Amino acid sequence: MAEPEYIKLTSPRQRGGFAVVSACRSSLWLGPDHLLSVESEGYTESYKRFYFRDIQAITMRKTGRIVVLALVSGCLSGLCGIVALAWDAIEAKWVFGILAGIFAVPFVLNLLYGPTCACQLRTAVQTEDLPSLGRVRRVEKILTRLRPLIAEAQGQLSAEAIPPPFPQPGPAPTPTPTIGEAPTPGIAEEPPRLS
Amino acid sequence: MSPALIHCPKCQAELMPQAFNQGTFGPCPACNALLQIEIFPALFRRPEAGRAGELILTEGEASCFYHPQKKAVQPCEGCGRFLCALCDCEHQGQHLCPSCLETGRTKGKIKSLESKRTRYDRLAFTLALLPFLLIYFTIITAPITLYIVLRYWKSPLGLTQRSRSKLVLAAVIASLQIAGWAALLIALLTR
Repeated sequence: MAEPEYIKLTSPRQRGGFAVVSACRSSLWLGPDHLLSVESEGYTESYKRFYFRDIQAITMRKTGRIVVLALVSGCLSGLCGIVALAWDAIEAKWVFGILAGIFAVPFVLNLLYGPTCACQLRTAVQTEDLPSLGRVRRVEKILTRLRPLIAEAQGQLSAEAIPPPFPQPGPAPTPTPTIGEAPTPGIAEEPPRLS
Repeated sequence: MSPALIHCPKCQAELMPQAFNQGTFGPCPACNALLQIEIFPALFRRPEAGRAGELILTEGEASCFYHPQKKAVQPCEGCGRFLCALCDCEHQGQHLCPSCLETGRTKGKIKSLESKRTRYDRLAFTLALLPFLLIYFTIITAPITLYIVLRYWKSPLGLTQRSRSKLVLAAVIASLQIAGWAALLIALLTR
């Protein structure tokens, strides 16, 4: 059987949020009828397939990683810049100036990539983290691409299919009047409302 | 059907359906984490009931290989054994018995069930490049690299990989290293 062609959705990204050097990297690929999550651990790759017909939900949670990354790289860059300005020796000015420039690159890139998030994918039997999806903008792009494919496999979700936020109050049971007692008026006609 | 179907990934609180498919981030009612939830029709699909297989009622009916008391409904497309509805595993239009399905998965014959592969190209490439840090190791690693390249040339690539460029590069580097050592040896012998 021929292997399906995959289209790269995300570049390999470390599993840990702040892992700079890590052997475990994760990436996401688009197959003909499924998403393929590739976990690369050194010389082995493990695969998880999420078929479009099985995907129940994709959850995104905004994280504060962008702030931490900006603070760390910004502080390092600023510190090196200050040292470069304060030092009299021209060699030191060059060294710390270059260092400030190096630290400024991740600072600028981090801001350009936009807000960070943690993404999860849910099927009937599992909820999987998608560590390669770490930026809101990237997830939204991928969702735009996935929506028609999932709709093709599952059909469109109608507004009626989503259950109401609270259980609809049904008709209240009419209290059985005891013998000799008059029925309380208005109970059956006016079901109690949840606010 | 329960109105709360999805849980907050941070605090595990049940989320109400008004938070779904809004296209914007909204706060979790319990922990205030900003969430965006996209749901699809599969969330409301009822799980299919499993099939148990019918019992043989009349003598002479074909029976399942694994359950002799149950009626055969399909032959396995891998081994030809008769299967009852319980043992008939349908995978991508093929009807297979559990044994053939397992064999296909472990031996990598059914690609869509494969869940792990070794990247020999990456191994060979690292083995070819890494010893440059300590050049004397190449006398050992270069032949090993060439062996890996030749031994695993036909092994399947990573699922998402399309060319053997790393293997070729590793072979070229290893060959150059071996040629360098051979030249050094000849130079030492002829001095």
